[in-house]
Amino acid sequence: MTRTAFVADTGVFVRAGGPDNEKYQRLRSAVVGAGVTLRLPRRVYAELGGDPHVDTYPSGSVVEEAIAAEWVTVADELDYTNSLVSTVMDQARRFVAAHTGRDEDLVEKADTALLGLSAQLLNSGHTRRVVLLTTDKPAGEAALALFSNHGFDDQVDYRYVGREFLASVEAETFR
Amino acid sequence: MAHAPSRTDDAPLRQFQIVSELLETPPLARVYTHADRTGPVTVGEIVTETGVPQGTVYDYVDRLETAGLLRTVAAGRPAKYATEPVGLTLSTDAGSQTVDTTLIAAVARRETDEDLDVFVDRHGLDGLAAALEYTREFVDGTVNARITARELDLSPLEAEIVLQALEPVVRASTGDGGDC
Repeated sequence: MTRTAFVADTGVFVRAGGPDNEKYQRLRSAVVGAGVTLRLPRRVYAELGGDPHVDTYPSGSVVEEAIAAEWVTVADELDYTNSLVSTVMDQARRFVAAHTGRDEDLVEKADTALLGLSAQLLNSGHTRRVVLLTTDKPAGEAALALFSNHGFDDQVDYRYVGREFLASVEAETFR
Repeated sequence: MAHAPSRTDDAPLRQFQIVSELLETPPLARVYTHADRTGPVTVGEIVTETGVPQGTVYDYVDRLETAGLLRTVAAGRPAKYATEPVGLTLSTDAGSQTVDTTLIAAVARRETDEDLDVFVDRHGLDGLAAALEYTREFVDGTVNARITARELDLSPLEAEIVLQALEPVVRASTGDGGDC
């Protein structure tokens, strides 16, 4: 059984910058040093590679090197027929809409892929705890609020990946 | 009956001129923002901290002082300068936009953040102003990059890039440890 799974969001890789960046190197060395991998929901992987204009930005596409070096993996497709996955994502969509004062139509179910993957991992019985690494505070708050209703008390946590997080990240962070 | 035009430095069109210059000239915005964020400063301190050449800083300080956005707080040598806040609202048929010190700080950041420079090249100053409003919410935790992307017609990745680029500007404006 995997004790803890780490699920990473788009913002983590934007914040870390590319392989030449000290923040990226620090994150890589912390993850590799702890012997874990960061899992990307498919949706996040698509976001990181999905904009042809983004190559013009220095903080554009940076995740391929990490996947090739195997400290980041692209997770399995979400199984929407799994009722826990589907229910959690729907609840998260409503939570995020309310938390941000938006219409529910403006938040897509796929926006909450981070929570969907968390649900899928916990439901598989192979993972006891999930830590989300994200800059999406509404989704992070949704994760903290929703999983206890499904019998996963204190089994999902989130870290806001700001500059402070990347400045102090070390292997111990992932143990 | 017509009124004689005001000759004071804070007359609206004079303000508009200097604000236009600030928006169009990132090094000028950087000099203003540095003085604004650090309190009374000398020309020498501005040169050291911003890397803008000394002759240019003297020119900028002169223009900002003439426009009433800088004032001398300690005469003598070297003189120290403090800022007056920028506050100008432009109204057009397409809507209105307020230019404040935080938007000037965002322009200043183009000098040191290439992501932001690319963003302004692609989306203009109106795009920057809109992204800055979303960044305030992003810092408060009441919006995310995905909603921002949908509402500003950006890709989620581009939204994430600009929100992160502007985050230090917003945090500095609220005294929360950002840097400019």
